[in-house]
Amino acid sequence: MIKRDRATLIMISIMFALALLVVFPIGKGILGQKGIRLGLDLVGGSHLVYQAQFSEDATSEEKARNIDRALETIQHRIDKYGVTEPIIQSQEGGRILVQLPGFTDIDEAKRLVEQTGFLEFREVELNEEGEPVYLTSYLDEGRTDFFNGEEEGSRIFVDNNGDPAVFLVKDEQGTLLYIDKEGNPLTTGEARQIVAGILEELAPFSPALSSWIPARGDDGTQLTGSFLDEAMPYAAAGITGTETGVNISWNEEGGIIFDQIAQHLYGGAFYLSPKQELGIFLDDTLISHPWIKQPAYGGTGVITGQFTPDEVTRLAILLESGSLPMPLEKPPLYQQKISATLGADFIDMSIMAGLIGIILVMLFMGIYYRLPGGLAILALTFYVVLVLAIFKLIPVTMTLAGIGGFVLSIGMAVDANILIFERLKEELRLGRTLGAAVESGFSRAWPAIRDSNITTFIICGILYILGSRIVESAPVMGFAITLAIGVAISMFTAIVVTRTFLRILAGTRWAQKTPLFTIYSGKGK
Amino acid sequence: MTDIVGKRARFFLISGIIITVSIVALANFGLKPGIEFSSGSMMTIHFEQVIDSDELKQEVASSGYPNAIIQQTREGDFLIRTGELTSEGKAQITNALTAQFGPATESEFHSVSPMVAAETARNAAIAIGVAAVGILLYITWAFRRMPKPFRYGVCALIALGHDVLIALGIFSILSVTLGWEINLMFITGILAVVGYSVNNTVVVFDRIRENLNRGVSPNFDVVVNNSLVETLGRSLNTSLTTLFVVLALLLFVGASIQNFAVVLLIGIIAGTFSSICIAPNLLVTWEKREWRKLFRPARVSQSSQ
Repeated sequence: MIKRDRATLIMISIMFALALLVVFPIGKGILGQKGIRLGLDLVGGSHLVYQAQFSEDATSEEKARNIDRALETIQHRIDKYGVTEPIIQSQEGGRILVQLPGFTDIDEAKRLVEQTGFLEFREVELNEEGEPVYLTSYLDEGRTDFFNGEEEGSRIFVDNNGDPAVFLVKDEQGTLLYIDKEGNPLTTGEARQIVAGILEELAPFSPALSSWIPARGDDGTQLTGSFLDEAMPYAAAGITGTETGVNISWNEEGGIIFDQIAQHLYGGAFYLSPKQELGIFLDDTLISHPWIKQPAYGGTGVITGQFTPDEVTRLAILLESGSLPMPLEKPPLYQQKISATLGADFIDMSIMAGLIGIILVMLFMGIYYRLPGGLAILALTFYVVLVLAIFKLIPVTMTLAGIGGFVLSIGMAVDANILIFERLKEELRLGRTLGAAVESGFSRAWPAIRDSNITTFIICGILYILGSRIVESAPVMGFAITLAIGVAISMFTAIVVTRTFLRILAGTRWAQKTPLFTIYSGKGK
Repeated sequence: MTDIVGKRARFFLISGIIITVSIVALANFGLKPGIEFSSGSMMTIHFEQVIDSDELKQEVASSGYPNAIIQQTREGDFLIRTGELTSEGKAQITNALTAQFGPATESEFHSVSPMVAAETARNAAIAIGVAAVGILLYITWAFRRMPKPFRYGVCALIALGHDVLIALGIFSILSVTLGWEINLMFITGILAVVGYSVNNTVVVFDRIRENLNRGVSPNFDVVVNNSLVETLGRSLNTSLTTLFVVLALLLFVGASIQNFAVVLLIGIIAGTFSSICIAPNLLVTWEKREWRKLFRPARVSQSSQ
């Protein structure tokens, strides 16, 4: 055994041991959380891509800043749901990618992300006599100006469900405009029709059709969700079953504004009058309209309403995580949901496929090439462990397509060995000794190994770029990466590992037994 | 010694027939683009109850989606493909179905907007184009020291076009018979076939290069034939080992990467054939400038059969 070969052999052994330790860390699994990272298609989960909507005059700087804020808000909302390792990223062209491994309720995921969550507080508009104003008041009197001239903000009129039915705004010329919930202008006739529909089912004490105007503190600041410090859902047994709601506490400024509003709403009204109601609006929908029952609250409050426990939780999360800085286009550009069981099946099946593939290839190599084939089996074992270790160290996220690439690379990995062995046989047939045949076989096979593998690298490069330019990037990129790593390592194992084994073999007595190399004396061509 | 080069007219004829069939199939049946390329929504729903596919189609139609495509994938599992669904539209369908057929669970949902679909299709087309040009340039470069290196590139390109056409042709037949769709994994598979096909061709060309440099014979066709025979073992063995793993993938992983595995399967078989029987023989034909003469012996051999 030549010194250099012995050194190489020791190096290979150390590498193998290290790789083995990486792949099979003592006491931990091969795949999953601590093992090779698994893609969404294998663990199950939801994958969403949204297009953010910006106003036309937004600068690219503003867009970037808003996207960053949106990412944070979404992250915050999702963190509360306890998803492990969610991926929330911005993509080119104002897109937002949300990947939630293990979270398979895609509809809930969408609700969570899509809520713009703009929370504001409103009160009922009063006329000069101090009486509540309704949409009917505006229509019946044919008003050309607001009843409360001091408040220039929009008026929201809701239907019996609390959903916005009509908005009333003042345009730049000072003309009043009725607008429906889609943002289309309404004629007074159309507005009357909407009113008639709501009146049919109007209940006593209903907040429907009341003219809701922004609730402001003494300095004119509107009370919005941005003054919220904390929102905690609660559920308690009450007279009519379980009462649910959200306990909120204000930050310092919010507490002051809230008390100022409570003061003027409480002041001088009969108990349970609409004048005392504080409307809580989330994205223009009235979610609750508690009566203000005392002139000061000292920084806390409770939102109660007809909520299911899930809704209360979501509401609290929305209140606390705040609003998205811009709306997202609906439906999302791309949605995918894969159930967890399906993913688990894929893992089992692909491990099976990989194992069967490896065994078949090994059997073939052993039977066809005999002794060198046996070396190729060793090299292939080394190859598999090394590739898996590299996947884990980089780390490469394994997808179904990635496994496909890896399994394919096993088939192609022996190609370099086959090229070498075929050359070896030719050289042996010419009557060379094994030592000489190994050296010339390798140097002759090298250009073919190099040139043919470069084409595979070119294809992998193209696939990788393709993957990076499309929304559904995981399968394409996964395949490209695993195949490229596989081919690179296969070249390394063939050139370093197989060659070293063969060289060492050349110095032993096995080298004389040509049938082991499928060379039979007298049967050469 | 096996004479492959001498039988080139016959091989060209075989390929010609297969390619003609592929082109006719493609022209008549076309390919069915999946939602990644044509946009839309697809959901897999599992029903507890045994239900009939036609009844399901009717129910989906009556909830406002008359053009929905329904496919049974497994026992109790149905795939429903529609145009792009809004959240409300999706809820409408699932509500209608649970009302009619009892408890159902959605195991998969996939929805692609027209914008993203157009983007994906465009990029996939560009990738295939770039791959073809890249391969041509690379082989021309790799064989730059040979006389007429461009020919090697063109012949390799024709061989891979041959493999891709056959894969497309078979898929267009599969799309009418089994309703198979073209998805991203299919494109990935096609590009893998491109790489694989050229990989094989390069090994053969490489041996031709070596034998030409060694001056094995003054006759180009003898050199090519020798090179082919010498690399035959390698070509077949590598194809076999790759076939093993692809078959294992196809049999054990199945449905979700079926497209990918089948494209590879076709590509490996076609690629092995083209790298042995087409690409090198094209080189010989080009060298001898026998384009017009080529099919005269072919006709003779046909009549002699």
